[in-house]
Amino acid sequence: MRKAATAHELPDTGQVRAQAASRPTSRPDMMTRLRPYLYLTPAMICFILFFFYPIGSIIYLSFQDWSLINLEAMEWVGLQNYTELVADQEFQQVLTNTLVFTFATVGISLAISFLLALWLNKKAKMYGIIQATVFSPHIISFVSVSMLWMWLMDPQFGLLNAVLEAVGLPGYTWLTDPSSALLSLILVNVWKGVGYNTLIFIAGLQSIPGDIYEAAALDRSPWWRTLTRITIPMLSPTMFFLFIINMISSSHAFDTIAIMTQGGPINSSNMLVYYIYEQGMDYYNGGFAAAASVILLLIVGVLTALYFLFMSKRVHYR
Amino acid sequence: MKRVGAISLKTVEWAGLLVVALLFVFPFLWMASTAFKDMSEVRQFPPTLLPETWEWGNFVQAWESGPFLMFTVNSIVVAVAILILQFLTAVPAAYAFARYQFPGRNLLFGLVLVALMIPGYIIFLPIYVQLSGWGLVNTLWSLILPYAASAFGIFLLRQAFMQVPDEVIEAARLDNASEWKIMWTIMVPMAKPVLVTFGLFSFIYHWNDYFWPLIMTNSDEVRTLPVGISSLRMSDGGTLWNVMMAGNMILILPILVIFFVAQRHIIKAFVYQSK
Amino acid sequence: MKAMKKTGTILCALALGLSGVLAGCGSTGKEQAASTGNTTKPATETAASNGPVEIDFWYALGGVRGKTIEDMVKKFNESHKDIKVKAAYQGAYQDNHSKVLASVAAGNNPDVTMVEIASIAAFADAKVLEDLTPYSQGDEKKYIPGLMKNSYWKDKLYAVPFNRSTPLLYINRDMLKAAGLDPNGPKSWDELISYSQKLVKKEGDKVTRYGFSTPVDIWFYEALVFQSGGNILSEDGKELTLNNESGKAPLELWTKMVKEGLMKNPPGENYNAWDVAEQDFLNQKVGMIFTTTGSLTELKKNAKFDMGAAFLPANKNFGTPTGGANLVMLAKSSDAEKKAAWEFMKWMTDTEQTVPWSIASGYMPVTTAAVDSPEMKAFYEKDPNFKVAVDQLQYGYPRPMAPGYKELQDVIQKELQRAMLGQATIDEALQNATDKGSKLLKK
Repeated sequence: MRKAATAHELPDTGQVRAQAASRPTSRPDMMTRLRPYLYLTPAMICFILFFFYPIGSIIYLSFQDWSLINLEAMEWVGLQNYTELVADQEFQQVLTNTLVFTFATVGISLAISFLLALWLNKKAKMYGIIQATVFSPHIISFVSVSMLWMWLMDPQFGLLNAVLEAVGLPGYTWLTDPSSALLSLILVNVWKGVGYNTLIFIAGLQSIPGDIYEAAALDRSPWWRTLTRITIPMLSPTMFFLFIINMISSSHAFDTIAIMTQGGPINSSNMLVYYIYEQGMDYYNGGFAAAASVILLLIVGVLTALYFLFMSKRVHYR
Repeated sequence: MKRVGAISLKTVEWAGLLVVALLFVFPFLWMASTAFKDMSEVRQFPPTLLPETWEWGNFVQAWESGPFLMFTVNSIVVAVAILILQFLTAVPAAYAFARYQFPGRNLLFGLVLVALMIPGYIIFLPIYVQLSGWGLVNTLWSLILPYAASAFGIFLLRQAFMQVPDEVIEAARLDNASEWKIMWTIMVPMAKPVLVTFGLFSFIYHWNDYFWPLIMTNSDEVRTLPVGISSLRMSDGGTLWNVMMAGNMILILPILVIFFVAQRHIIKAFVYQSK
Repeated sequence: MKAMKKTGTILCALALGLSGVLAGCGSTGKEQAASTGNTTKPATETAASNGPVEIDFWYALGGVRGKTIEDMVKKFNESHKDIKVKAAYQGAYQDNHSKVLASVAAGNNPDVTMVEIASIAAFADAKVLEDLTPYSQGDEKKYIPGLMKNSYWKDKLYAVPFNRSTPLLYINRDMLKAAGLDPNGPKSWDELISYSQKLVKKEGDKVTRYGFSTPVDIWFYEALVFQSGGNILSEDGKELTLNNESGKAPLELWTKMVKEGLMKNPPGENYNAWDVAEQDFLNQKVGMIFTTTGSLTELKKNAKFDMGAAFLPANKNFGTPTGGANLVMLAKSSDAEKKAAWEFMKWMTDTEQTVPWSIASGYMPVTTAAVDSPEMKAFYEKDPNFKVAVDQLQYGYPRPMAPGYKELQDVIQKELQRAMLGQATIDEALQNATDKGSKLLKK
């Protein structure tokens, strides 16, 4: 089959996009027409097997009573998983936690990184070094980041409480109290993600044409007006992009929870993916786990749709 | 007068920059410092900044608390295998999207974009069920195959391929080069910077990944480094912070080294994601 | 469904083949074959005909105790040329529980594993365990009867005791003596309170030394319920019976002691809280704690004071759950593996092994012969603390046996914490637990 693909062909049978319109095509043979599909086949089969089929499968599984131990014994229960799930106090808390965590992490992280980007967007070498420093946690495994912060937040011997006490403040409970566990996780995730957002903001700032600023300078526009009239509007696509992808990545936080709190104390830091993991792999409530997955899928789906809608309105695809 | 003001403003800014840098670097230095302390010093309050005695033994203890050589080999095998597969699936797909006009192109590309946006975390259960049906759960395949195609890779490469001037391809066609050959011998070398960028991104992502190996494996033979390291926190008789930190140093050092060597590429890799 | 999956595999292989991938991942192919060879059936079955039978054994104890288990396995392999046991650590009991079930689903299950005793019902009910009666043939009578209560499900024998424990009250005798108290510790709940009052030290408002500490863990709660004359589950195992006097009494005791600054509620999820309590005890920040007899050897090694162990104080009566883990055999293993597995289980729990195991760890010896053996007697003579758990067995109860108890105990524990932290009243917490419990138990 591949032989056929590599056989001699006329130069113009490739149906190159740029030429397609301008040049009369000479009777495209079978191979030529099939070629793009053949080239797409390996990737598409992988996507079907490990992405699209599973999406269909999870929806199907959410209407079943099933468990991983005994896959043969599936029972159609209709919407029962959903109704029970929505009525479940624990799930309500998990959903609330997920929303609070997601919005807080994204909001704080974007605010800080926007300010950092305005500050660090300069040519001098030192700013580049600081940018790299701020970015470095982003490429470190969540495992290490989580364990490191667990240690920093240790109520007895941790550095954070040592610092607090050194300046005369009482030690904080961090991960050990229901009132502070979620907040602590937000802090860790902001710390890890802020550098990435800063870099993207800086890239966005640098793509704003310099002559706009020059014009503003000629108009003697004060800095705050430049900021609100030029920088922020010009940066809004970047902001929107960051908002969406940060929302998506925060909404499926797992590693920090699994390592630092296991969802506790008393569920105060439990979120959707960890809940799905617990229900599916720990308690063997496959139906609950699947229904919760579909709910998360809906959330992420809406965010994705919003993004594409926005992009298609703004950008004319080449 | 004005100059003095400028200088002190500069000083304030430098101090600010230093604080920012410390906020992000100091935790790692603290990790390193703890990794060398003995347990009694770890439990000292208030803590010491630098270890009084340098305990290299913590690294040995961390390394010997499990089959860490095997974990490391697995981590490398998985990350490299994924990289190779993603390369081999992304190049033809990106080429098809970039250089051909065919019915269904927009639809198929839309599907790739959807796969780009929606994280696999959400659908781990059905993938687990599926892999378990094929008898692949708890093998390295279960860590590799689900990542065999990368939507991000296809997306990046497509853009790179679109930027290759048509004349280059024209010239190759005149030499009677086949499409297959053009793709691999002309397009791929021209997209090298993007490939390096993507390669770094993919390697770092999968080297760091904790969730997938945690879900898919249950024996040491197929576990990767992050899962191995994370089990260091389960020691009875008090958490051995020094050993834990030493273990994590082992996990992050390769990445930090790569980061210092290829910093520009890595930053580009992550910034590209936004384009 | 099956056919669909098959074609899936073929398609995928085809897809990979198409793009010339197979050459690229030859190395991973080998790696994978090597790794699955150890865990899947065909390899072990061929091994049965020529060479030793290989069996996988999963255990759930880390640290020094884990090392001891590895040493025991090594000794078994050296003395049994026809069997090769591969031991693997799977994390704490909860992790082990999920991993065993996951492995059954994935088809790479171990042949023998440790299972926390309250999980036996769930495992047996899910039909993942092998009935041991044909293998044991009455041999199970050698075990201490008090340790066998969590071994049966629907009248079939599924497990033999391995590392078994009861909770104990650990006492800092030096501290008690200095406070003018009986160094043998409190005998009743009232005494627990009055002793704690004498042990507490304060600097201004801040408590610098607590009298007592215990993880707010289901296991200790069970103990206190038993001591109050109650039970966790109804006779038929379908109802949670905590919303009553004996269910409330433990929470009333603990919340009162925490409120008065006598007891420290150690922070941390699951076993982290245990670690905190033990560390506080070793650092003399608390005078008395509840923890398992399985920690005895470790604590004794690290305590810089005269440490004692005693019965848990009584309310209406003395009472304690037993704890720890049993050994079970998996139903999915082949016959040859099962035979080898039984050989191994029998050996691990036999008097000759359980005596040194008990001495090395602090867990109870599991056979009656072991308790009466000269070695054990001489050891108890030397350190009577090690005998406390065995003596306490006379007041021992089995842990609740119900398939849904694994999830239920998490639910109860969360409600206990809620009451402890003042997020719910005791009544609300127990009502919540009961509501959720009846749903889970009916599944």
